[in-house]
Amino acid sequence: MTITWMFGAAILLPVLSGLFLLLRQGKIENRRLKCVGIFLVMALTALLAVALICSPDYELTVWRLTDTISLTFRLDGLARLFMGMTVAAWTLGGVFAFEYMKHEENEDRYFGFYLIVLGVLLALDQAGNLVTLYLCFELMTLTSLPLVLHNMSHEAVMAGLKYLFYSIGGAFTALFGIFYLFANGLTGSFTPGGYLSAGEISYTGTTGMTLFVLLLIIIGFGTKAGMFPMHGWLPTAHPVAPAPASAVLSGVITKAGVLAVVRVVFYMVGADFLRGTWVQYTWLTLALITVFMGSMMAYKEQLLKKRLAYSSVSQVSYIMFGLATLTVDGFVGGLAHFIFHSVIKDCLFLCAGAIIYNTHRTRVDELRGIGKEMPVTMWCFTIVSLGLVGIPPLSGFVSKWYLAVGALGSGTGVFTWLGPVVLLLSALLTAGYLLTLSIQAFFPGADFDYAGVKRHEVNALMTVPMVLYAAATLLLGMFPGALIGFIQNIASAVL
Amino acid sequence: MMNSACLALAIALPIVGGALMPLLRLPDKKRNLLIELLVLATSALAFACVLWRPETNFVLFHLTGNMNFSLRLDGLGCVFTCLIAALWPLATLYAFEYMRNEERTTSFFCCYTMTYGVTLGVAMSEDLVTMYLFYELLTLVSVYLVMHPMTRKALRASRTYLYYSIGGAAFVFIGLVFLILYGTTTNFVLGGVLDMEKVGGNVQLILLVYVLTFLGFGVKAAIFPFQGWLPKASVAPTPVTALLHAVAVVKSGAFALMRLTYYSFGTDFLRGTWAHFAVMSIAMISVIYGSTMAVRETHFKRRLAYSTISNLSYVTMAVTMMSPAGLFAGMCHMVVHAVMKIGAFFCSGAVLHQSGVEYIDELNGLGRRMPFTFGMFAIFGCSLAGIPLFGGFISKWCIAMAAVETAREIPYAYVAVGVLLYAALMTAIYVFTVVVRAFFPDRGSVTPHPEVTDPNWEMCLPLALFAVATLALGLHSGPLLEVLQSIANGGF
Repeated sequence: MTITWMFGAAILLPVLSGLFLLLRQGKIENRRLKCVGIFLVMALTALLAVALICSPDYELTVWRLTDTISLTFRLDGLARLFMGMTVAAWTLGGVFAFEYMKHEENEDRYFGFYLIVLGVLLALDQAGNLVTLYLCFELMTLTSLPLVLHNMSHEAVMAGLKYLFYSIGGAFTALFGIFYLFANGLTGSFTPGGYLSAGEISYTGTTGMTLFVLLLIIIGFGTKAGMFPMHGWLPTAHPVAPAPASAVLSGVITKAGVLAVVRVVFYMVGADFLRGTWVQYTWLTLALITVFMGSMMAYKEQLLKKRLAYSSVSQVSYIMFGLATLTVDGFVGGLAHFIFHSVIKDCLFLCAGAIIYNTHRTRVDELRGIGKEMPVTMWCFTIVSLGLVGIPPLSGFVSKWYLAVGALGSGTGVFTWLGPVVLLLSALLTAGYLLTLSIQAFFPGADFDYAGVKRHEVNALMTVPMVLYAAATLLLGMFPGALIGFIQNIASAVL
Repeated sequence: MMNSACLALAIALPIVGGALMPLLRLPDKKRNLLIELLVLATSALAFACVLWRPETNFVLFHLTGNMNFSLRLDGLGCVFTCLIAALWPLATLYAFEYMRNEERTTSFFCCYTMTYGVTLGVAMSEDLVTMYLFYELLTLVSVYLVMHPMTRKALRASRTYLYYSIGGAAFVFIGLVFLILYGTTTNFVLGGVLDMEKVGGNVQLILLVYVLTFLGFGVKAAIFPFQGWLPKASVAPTPVTALLHAVAVVKSGAFALMRLTYYSFGTDFLRGTWAHFAVMSIAMISVIYGSTMAVRETHFKRRLAYSTISNLSYVTMAVTMMSPAGLFAGMCHMVVHAVMKIGAFFCSGAVLHQSGVEYIDELNGLGRRMPFTFGMFAIFGCSLAGIPLFGGFISKWCIAMAAVETAREIPYAYVAVGVLLYAALMTAIYVFTVVVRAFFPDRGSVTPHPEVTDPNWEMCLPLALFAVATLALGLHSGPLLEVLQSIANGGF
């Protein structure tokens, strides 16, 4: 019973507080009080989420829409992993935003929707069946839209609409698959290993059609993860959002697409059903294309935030690639990369935000010597960049190691070696598009006017989240054991 | 158990009452009150008829042979009766406020009320002959409503409407003749009334007749290529567009298609034939056409009119699945669409009435001025797009389930699922651009609308009730679905 209450509170608290903020837009005079209030809501939500994470597995059917369609939530290892990342990123992003959004208009609307999305995401992480997953997915798209078009310039509104239509289009593509699976008997809640491999239930779909709809689901939900060919919205939408919003959009919301794919493939259908089929190969191909293309585009891009967005396109597909290998190691690498990339990309976007906030510089070539002005920011930037490239002892190395091992042992023909090669190339490109920036920032060269540089770092509300993320990157890279063990437990249950 | 004469009474009450209204020469306020009472009384009677359903039929009068004009309420009729009985009083309430500053309101309300009776007649007809009668009548009484603004455009639109409808009815007449020739009776019997001995070798001919009749009734249901009258008719006052062109008239068409397919020709006869493929294709094309055109249209009301074309064709598409699940899904979407589309139209009407804005690109920033109206529109929009928790999701779900089920035998039906989702994406595009424009306008593109506010309670109350109904249908549709399911299986 207490679990039910805690579950309800964890979701309703942020949603209701967010609604309250939206209704009282612009009417709360005392900004400090408001920020403290928002922080308390986020902290309390985080506590509730942690309490849920620590509680034993549960499955709650909250409501029945019809006799066959129920809204069910369940807590398992995967949900714990995603919930933990969500509340961490949200709290830090929120703290950062207290400072960042100071001079922006409509900040109440921003924080209102920010809190609502947090509630929706916590629900999404625990979605227990296909319909609930789809519901939360759509709600997430709709409620995160105002974060994207926040600054209301023509560009931002258009980007917001692009985001909306891609996401909804993707969700509908996936819905085709959900219709098919549901109508043919896959009506139950998620179960590790899926239903079709075990062959217990009476499933009336044909193999060919099931594979086809699985591809639709992977592409459809993959839209959110920015996977080729539905990646077009991501480099447009993420950069126009305010930096703390871009951070959570890239860090957490894109991963919702990953979560949805994992749920369908590993918890509904079963990996064995997919192994060795054309769908698996298509999935691997799409993931690798995205990895390479994203890195290339990031390398060529001159706007910092857009470069980071392209980097997200590429990195999220690392996760997709790991999952697509359908091996334990690949799965572990993928989910580990989910956590690591979230931490790193959150941090990178916050750094970009700090630079914009402080200096209004948005282009990469304007950042010469910025390391002298904002050393803390740029140190964090550099540390997590090294992590993303995959240099030990930083976190990215661990996940890439597992990804490569997974690919080598997957028995997928050409992909066993092509996968690691592409990952390696992409890592080189990553170094190219991130580390050159650090080098320019710290070593602007002899012709640089050192005298004109004044050190002016952003304040603690902004630096603390960045430093925490950078520290997490380091610690997770040095002591990955607990996390990897946790993910291995999940993997051994589903594979 | 009610006497079956009550059916006739429910139909006669608004027709006679409406017709007498101009003779009374009442002042506006009293007239409005009287009309509302009349409509409420009719609705009460209609609901009573549904709850204590008369088991016998009521013969209005006798034509030649075994042809009667007779009324009878069966399960499908109940659904349609309840739908209009619930919506009419609210729409009338909205119309009072909307029409306040218009001219010729008495004749408007006269026709508006008479249409109610005629629509009930369509719902309660026992056989195809009676339905044909009411169907023609419906065209005649509602044509004045389209014409009402009396502008050139309105006159032309009403003429188009008339030609299309009469033309459609002519097709229906062909079907009627053939059913009299080849059927055991013209009454509606679930499973069809064709006499296979009489049909003999004329199967192809009968199929052709079916397709023709389908197209004939399809005119009112606005299927492609006979949809042309509907967007034009949106020049009519909003209460007309909302109630008649989103519910009463067009749903009469969809209702007639259900009758024709499931109760006259019978799905066993049609399933898997070329006629089946033909009508399914027509429905799919209409869905695609309607939703695509809605995206291209920038006039607010016309956009919703195109959306109606696409949504009605969802119903038609479900009907053409030719299975109990299809009939069930069709009825479900008929109910859900009625509620959400009338609501959406009322929102556009409220905007037009309060600010005079007709085109979508002038809506920028209006959400701040009319938060209630656009908030409600967002709810109807989510429902139209098929977001879970809203009514539209449930009915689309049912349609998709029916399509997948049919697709096991006839794989062509998978295309219907694809079409459904394509249309859903288009729907999302054409409703959410409106919502985003209203609430999140481009900086600098905000059209100034000083002193525009939400309308008064007479307009807001129906909106709120429809929004609640949309949510209720989305959140707890179990009981409704159970009833519809049993109707579709013939058990009700």
